[in-house]
Amino acid sequence: MATTVTEPGLKRVERLERIWVEPRGVLGWLTTTDHKRIGLLYFFTTLAFFGAGGIEALLIRTQLAEPNAKVLSPETYDQLMTMHGVTMIFLFVIPMSLGAFGNYLIPLMIGARDMAFPRMNALSYWLFLASGLFMYASVFLHAAPNAGWFDYVPLALKQYDPGRNIDFYALGLIFNGISSTAAAINFIVTIFKLRAPGMSMNRMPLFCFAMLAVSLSLIFALPSLTIDLVYLELQRNLGFHFFDVAHGGDPLLWQHLFWLFGHPEVYIIILPAFGIATSIIPTFSKRKMIAFPLVALAELLVAFIGFGVWAHHMFATGLPTITLVFFAAASMMVVIPSTIQVFAWTVTVALGRPEFRAPLMFIGGFIVFFVLGGLTGIMFAAIPFDQAATDTYFVVAHFHFIIFGAAVFPILGGMYYWFPKVTGRLYHEGLAKLSFWLTFVGTALTFFPMHIIGLLGMPRRVYTYPSSLGWGAYNLSETIGAFILTAGLLLIFWNLVYSRFRGAPAGPDPFFGGTLEWATTSPPPPYNFPVIPTVRSAYPNWDAEDRRADVARLERGELVLDGGHETPASTVVDAVPDEVLEMPGESPWPLAVAVCTSLLFIMLLTRHYAVAGVFAGFALLAVAAWHSKEPQET
Amino acid sequence: MSATPAAVARVERARLARPNGWWGMAIFVATEATLFGTIIGTYYYLRFNNLHWPPPGVPEPKLTLPLVLTGLLVSTSVPMQLAVNAASRGKLPRARAALLLAVVVQAGYLGMQLHLFVHDVHEFPPSGSAYSSIYFTMLGAHHLHVFLGMLLILWILLRTATGLTSYRMNGLRATAFYWHFINVLALCVVGSQLSPLA
Repeated sequence: MATTVTEPGLKRVERLERIWVEPRGVLGWLTTTDHKRIGLLYFFTTLAFFGAGGIEALLIRTQLAEPNAKVLSPETYDQLMTMHGVTMIFLFVIPMSLGAFGNYLIPLMIGARDMAFPRMNALSYWLFLASGLFMYASVFLHAAPNAGWFDYVPLALKQYDPGRNIDFYALGLIFNGISSTAAAINFIVTIFKLRAPGMSMNRMPLFCFAMLAVSLSLIFALPSLTIDLVYLELQRNLGFHFFDVAHGGDPLLWQHLFWLFGHPEVYIIILPAFGIATSIIPTFSKRKMIAFPLVALAELLVAFIGFGVWAHHMFATGLPTITLVFFAAASMMVVIPSTIQVFAWTVTVALGRPEFRAPLMFIGGFIVFFVLGGLTGIMFAAIPFDQAATDTYFVVAHFHFIIFGAAVFPILGGMYYWFPKVTGRLYHEGLAKLSFWLTFVGTALTFFPMHIIGLLGMPRRVYTYPSSLGWGAYNLSETIGAFILTAGLLLIFWNLVYSRFRGAPAGPDPFFGGTLEWATTSPPPPYNFPVIPTVRSAYPNWDAEDRRADVARLERGELVLDGGHETPASTVVDAVPDEVLEMPGESPWPLAVAVCTSLLFIMLLTRHYAVAGVFAGFALLAVAAWHSKEPQET
Repeated sequence: MSATPAAVARVERARLARPNGWWGMAIFVATEATLFGTIIGTYYYLRFNNLHWPPPGVPEPKLTLPLVLTGLLVSTSVPMQLAVNAASRGKLPRARAALLLAVVVQAGYLGMQLHLFVHDVHEFPPSGSAYSSIYFTMLGAHHLHVFLGMLLILWILLRTATGLTSYRMNGLRATAFYWHFINVLALCVVGSQLSPLA
């Protein structure tokens, strides 16, 4: 691309460089609104939380390695088990896939220069970081949440759990939910409005469809969790009655609202994995995804059906039979869009010329675990089986195959796949393949025996078990598996750190990917593309003629938008160019709002409600200051 | 840059699609509507779990005053929409007058409602029963939204004191959208709360 650019084109690129440059150093990172930098902040933060959640898992597995072990006290075990769940779901998988991958990749894939609301994007990150630190502060105060990530009442009520533990959980997740809601709104508007000219809905990358489905799910799922947590806090601290029968409340209300959020949440966790799989498979199979529109619809359909299945988490709570049958049938329906996708992925590989490099191997592992975990999922939709196996390790086996094997493997594969784009260097292929086999074997060895001990009757959520039941060998092999898995994850981490400094230069497009992120340099410049690309297919980087036309337009100065900090906005369905937006640049206010909000939540936790009100006022003032410097939309 | 009302009006006429700000507010409203849907759902869930609703000793909800107040609040959707229409044609003073009228009426509504709220809290405190818990949670959530909506209007009034820009126009449009939503919510909330009388 650079070979044919002449003097006037280079002048324009220089002008873009000057317009889009951000302050250097720590200050630059604190005030950044660049979606790539925010994506990297999300990446490193979630990686740290992944480490914390992983250490918690290893401690749990060490305690369970043999019968009657005394590594952890029952109280500590409860706290670690709860924090493991909360961390992996709210502080790792969602912010990693949506915050890190989504932030870095979506604007690049749709040919935009930033997110629709760049400062709100920064706010999402700072609120996420603050909510994570808020919840982890509890660990250092020996008051970590201890009623499980599902936090069932009445156990979580003040009478039975009088410390601050549950308040950290409830306030921390409300806090986290504000961040996720802001992020979801931003992604939806970005995907709707900032697509490059010609990228009509049917030409949008499947990764973006998956992220759109995730964001829509968050918009409609989070409120029921938020409200449930508000009820819990009102009942715990102000004497309201929602969950106690004596005053007309109902403990099942907690479960209904929790799972009305919690099941869509499961699909929120898995959908980004579908998106990453549909990015990696075409590249290494060297062909377009088959059944493209069906796969796009299936992604949205999974999210939609996810709202009608929550009571299958409550088959053993004594709901009326007719209710159970309805939810069992709805749960079976999820099979249809899931199977469409499994066939589309495997057939695309079979019909292409697959090259099994590390990212594609991780997708292979993902498909294996997704099918295995999906099959046990269908078993749970059968009411009698669910009632027999509920609260056993069979459940733990099922959902770890799905939310570790299926949801995290594509994230790991995606780390390798987009590493050259982010750093400009290639990862080490041999080590990457070794790390795949270690994580694959480790995952299978950790979670497969859980099916067996679950059927043997080992209950979940117990901190130890007697030696007379013959569960010891299975548990020991699970613990060994957990350490093999950890070795695999550390090898991935080492590979990426090593390659960051010693890897071979990657060039803009080392894998010949089909989507637009490969059309720009590695790493991309702050303005992403010197020329806003135009799009005529779902794999625009494989349309060589269009990409040559981009270079020609740079020469002529069309769609360069070097008059200001600008990106084009287009119509929602057909992506007809509509207006040129002047985008806001770096701002200290998102961070200020996040600091005020953190103080607000700390005051709520310590029950200084008047002071909390003062900090709410400060947060509003910071929002006002933020909006008093306005980018002009012309 | 479109610093004059006339220039903003030109941009408004040339637009093919709704601006980002409108979409952002639309999706925010979707999540807020789900939030209130959950609260109203809780109200009925608890109601059908209880034999007596409201429970003995708690007065039945009053009919006339809440309906009159809600009607007053809902009527402010008219000046809000007039403000948008006037501003998008470049008539800024008329838009600001309509906003001022709306926010004065809303302030009267909120003042009256808070007075009633405090009175009711003394009469049947939220710690008394599930009924009073959800009653005050629902009302309190709506009052909070009215308050935030008023802050948005005051902010737009403050910003448009120095003229109209496309950015402010988008803010005004989003604020009006939010207010139409709050008014629909007011009908849902008052309808649910009066439902024991039916």
